[in-house]
Amino acid sequence: MTRYFAGRSLIALALACAAGTLHAATEADIDKSFFPYKSAVPTAAGVTAGTVINKGNFANFEAVLDPGLQRHIQAGAVEITVGKTTSFDIDKSYVDATRENAGKVKLGAKPGELVGYVAGRPFPEEPDAKDPRAGEKLAWNFRYGMNWGDGLAISPFYWKYRNMDSGKVERNILFNFHFIKYTHRLNQVPTPEISPNPSKLYRATYVNVQEPQDVKNTQLLIQRYEDDLKQDDAYLYLGFQRRVRRLSTGQTTDAFLGSDIMIEDFEGYNGRISDMTWKYKGTVNLLMPFYNHNDMKLSEEYKDPDGYKYVAFGGQGGCFPNITWQLRKVHIVESAPVDPNHPVSRRVHYMDAQTSAMSETLVYDRKGDLWKIFMLGMTHPDSHLAQNKGSGIVLFDAFSMIDVQAKHCTTGQFKGQADAKMVPVNLFNVQNMRGGN
Amino acid sequence: MKAAGDFSRPKLGVLATALSLAAGAQAQAADENLPDLGSGASPWVADVYYENHTARRHDAGLAKFRNTLQLEADKQMGDGWAFRGILRGSWDGVYRLNRDEYGRGAGGPIELENTAAPLLPPVPTSAGTPLNRPLVPHGGGINNAIATAIGLPPTNAFGFDLAANPNDGMRVLGDRWHRTEGGVAFGVPVRPCDTDKRGCRDFGGYGDLKLSELEAPEFNDRLDFLREIYAKKTFPLADGTELFVKLGRQQVVWGRTDLFRVLDVINPIDYSRNNIYDELQDIRIPMWIAQAEYRMGASDVMQDRNVQVVWNFDKFRPNNLGQCGSPNVILDAGCFFRGMANLWDNGGTVANFAAVPPGTAGAWAATDFGPHQIGIRKVYLPEWSLSNTQLGVKYEGITKEGLAFSLNALTYRSQLPSLHAFSAGTVNPFTGGSGNTTPPADGVPVSRLIAFDVHYPRVNLIGGSLDFQIPDANAAIRMEAALTHGEEFQNTARRELFSENRVLRTVIGVDRPTFIPLISKTRATLISAQLFWQHIFDHERHDGPLGTVGIPDWEDNFIGTLLIKGFLAGDRVSPQLMMARDFRAKAFTIAPQIEWSVSDDFKVTLGANFKYANGDSHYKFDDTRSANPYPPFTTYTAAGQPFVPGSAGLEGLEPLGRFRAGPIGAAVAEDDIYVTIRYKF
Repeated sequence: MTRYFAGRSLIALALACAAGTLHAATEADIDKSFFPYKSAVPTAAGVTAGTVINKGNFANFEAVLDPGLQRHIQAGAVEITVGKTTSFDIDKSYVDATRENAGKVKLGAKPGELVGYVAGRPFPEEPDAKDPRAGEKLAWNFRYGMNWGDGLAISPFYWKYRNMDSGKVERNILFNFHFIKYTHRLNQVPTPEISPNPSKLYRATYVNVQEPQDVKNTQLLIQRYEDDLKQDDAYLYLGFQRRVRRLSTGQTTDAFLGSDIMIEDFEGYNGRISDMTWKYKGTVNLLMPFYNHNDMKLSEEYKDPDGYKYVAFGGQGGCFPNITWQLRKVHIVESAPVDPNHPVSRRVHYMDAQTSAMSETLVYDRKGDLWKIFMLGMTHPDSHLAQNKGSGIVLFDAFSMIDVQAKHCTTGQFKGQADAKMVPVNLFNVQNMRGGN
Repeated sequence: MKAAGDFSRPKLGVLATALSLAAGAQAQAADENLPDLGSGASPWVADVYYENHTARRHDAGLAKFRNTLQLEADKQMGDGWAFRGILRGSWDGVYRLNRDEYGRGAGGPIELENTAAPLLPPVPTSAGTPLNRPLVPHGGGINNAIATAIGLPPTNAFGFDLAANPNDGMRVLGDRWHRTEGGVAFGVPVRPCDTDKRGCRDFGGYGDLKLSELEAPEFNDRLDFLREIYAKKTFPLADGTELFVKLGRQQVVWGRTDLFRVLDVINPIDYSRNNIYDELQDIRIPMWIAQAEYRMGASDVMQDRNVQVVWNFDKFRPNNLGQCGSPNVILDAGCFFRGMANLWDNGGTVANFAAVPPGTAGAWAATDFGPHQIGIRKVYLPEWSLSNTQLGVKYEGITKEGLAFSLNALTYRSQLPSLHAFSAGTVNPFTGGSGNTTPPADGVPVSRLIAFDVHYPRVNLIGGSLDFQIPDANAAIRMEAALTHGEEFQNTARRELFSENRVLRTVIGVDRPTFIPLISKTRATLISAQLFWQHIFDHERHDGPLGTVGIPDWEDNFIGTLLIKGFLAGDRVSPQLMMARDFRAKAFTIAPQIEWSVSDDFKVTLGANFKYANGDSHYKFDDTRSANPYPPFTTYTAAGQPFVPGSAGLEGLEPLGRFRAGPIGAAVAEDDIYVTIRYKF
């Protein structure tokens, strides 16, 4: 009997080691996680607001530049201006939920399994380099980050396909993107979840293409399950066919509508945690594309009736957002696909510590060579549309995916709107796609 | 400077045109108690497209020079109502630029096979040529005088008035895809119906079109230039569910297939536009339809649930199979219809018909039938009435495991014509009277006479569809099945030469995005394969003394399709290869195409479609020459056929081989290359 119990204990211990143990984050951990700049902002020699970093002086700033950005500054493709580091406070409901549920969540036995998660940031404590699953925990923080809140629309959303050498804009696409969370909702009714939800969906993304003519009225619906081990479901409505086609999962690694970005690249990483092995590579202070939208010199190309203006692009080929860059605390996380046939060998994500946003990502091809650089400009919501003020949602505001091998890029200009009326749950049904034109 | 949404900024001139063209629709909307279209909550948004489609056909020359102007207009009307209109007008210059093939100069004098020639005397025919020629002109067959000379009553009614039905502006039935090969054939007028009225019948939108209507097909009495015009609204209900309504002229798409249809049968199809090779959205014939969807959303066991009711209250329209003489006549059916209608109206020469003398294999004489003896008499198009409207119901859902499925039921009118043989009111060519009056068959009811009326029977359909993904195979699977009751098939074993049979159609499709480095390392190539299976229940076949009798269609047939579509240069260049194989027809088509989006607004498409068939002998089937409607005159066997009419099974390619050849086999000689340019203003 003793041996039996001893055996059971060993098994339990082994499982605990494998799955991660409950670790109650302290109030200090949570404070540090959400308010890292409360007492001081990061500093680096010469890095002050208004500093221009270019080909001539980049060597002085190598320590605060990610390799992708540095590569382009060094090549003279772009010069950047440093902005003042500011706090991007996340909605109080999310912080409170983190506090309430601290210590209740732990990793499961396998990547992609999470036990006890309710809401908020699952692992607010500082990542531990000695923890072999620290990268996975950060990936969960990203997945269950505030991101777009419970529901948000990007409407309109302008994409440009650009030749980096010639600067020629080869293609314009006008989208509307809509996001909704079904579970772990905090700031839009209903909370904490939308029910009924028998499939246990976690999140859905609905995309509608407005222009150009050959892809007009194309619609995409991606449904992600709460169970990370379950494959996403994706449906595509082709305007010229007028019917919904189910997509196979392989199309998430396809160049989305011929752009430089794949569905899996959306938001830095748009896939299952279990599809990757995650490694925490350290925490550093880096210049990141965080800024106040209304303080930027904005584009005059599009003019909305409400006066909203979009982030302008410049640099080589027009591939770089004309924004300021803040020195921020960043966790470096590396993800490598489990599938050996995946077109990517690994990604290096520069995850903003305060917001868990992956606002810089380097993508490496199967040979291990740098393939693409993803920049995701983030604006403070209080410096944006009136309806976004006070939302506590850090808004994606501009992106560029640069294919450094093809010398090509895809840029995106957002008009993010945290408006629950723009994301009714019925919008995310397959039938809604059929009910169009 | 562009404003947000500038891609779709309204253009005032276009808008004015749209509004004036949509005047009829406004009236219709008022009838439906819709909100006033002019007092909307947002401005009109309109796009205008121009498209030119030019095709060259092997042996025929220019086969299409279609210029299309299309306007797509949208407006949020307020109170949740949205309006959408698509106006399309086209003008096809092929009828003027290739007038000798498709226009007023098409066709000419013809000659028809006369395999009994060596056994026939050189007596003069109505055409002035001797009867014993292996090829005789239209009017060069057995006429009254010759029939009298060989022993038929002088009152026989063979022969026809060549002045009313001259040997001009004709082609030989089936010459677009086969030789006569000892079977039946006859002349088919091919010029537009304002040039040559012979054989013109309205089959429901085609068959009786004049040149201007062929050139500009949307401008007709059904107002087809109003391609789509509808209003829609979603009504939120108290319990969180929704009622979605869409009223107006529209397409309602059921099913999950490409190229061929199983469940997607609510709207008829215009095959005259480009056979089977256009996207279905461009060739569905929009109908006035009211549809309502009760969108229930999720439940405890289903992630999504919807019930859709579709009421097609439009006046019936069948598929447009193409008017004979125009470039696209699917199955060559329109030519058979026109030739048969001409035979009924005016009589005509039928190749290789009369068994003179009976029982000599391979020896049949060209025969001049008179009016009202054989042919197509009348097309019964269902008039508008409540009982003739069409109603469909669909339940569609997604299970909590992610399986998407639908259950469908539809009662509709067949979109394909059914030929019902009749005898009352026909002239017995052997006696000039009506019916069988010659002993010993005196009083035997006439049956299996190749005189037809055209009907569009009611069909009831039940079916379903589903799709799911197989992650390990990186593939999405889609399936459909439909069981119909009420479809009619030609059946030479039946007295009326048709039978009603239940039909099961199924399809399984596999879509797999595949990285093919040769095409692109970053963009997946879509590989999409489909396998269609059609089974006809109670399929009737009998062996007759001269061949098989019964239903010409295959009891079981399979069609496989394969689409390989690549995407290059940011999806601005898209090469594709479409292939389809009709297994029982042993026919194959391959259609390479490359699209190039020169800019966001300008696209050029180059393509071709080539067809192949492995011979045509397997298309031959009982052509009802030996159906023996008028015994003892119509005996084809040496031993003689019984006086109870019934086919001996003598076979040929016409008229039923087309059902075995299918749309690919019957177009085997129509290899096209084409260029399409499309510009958005």
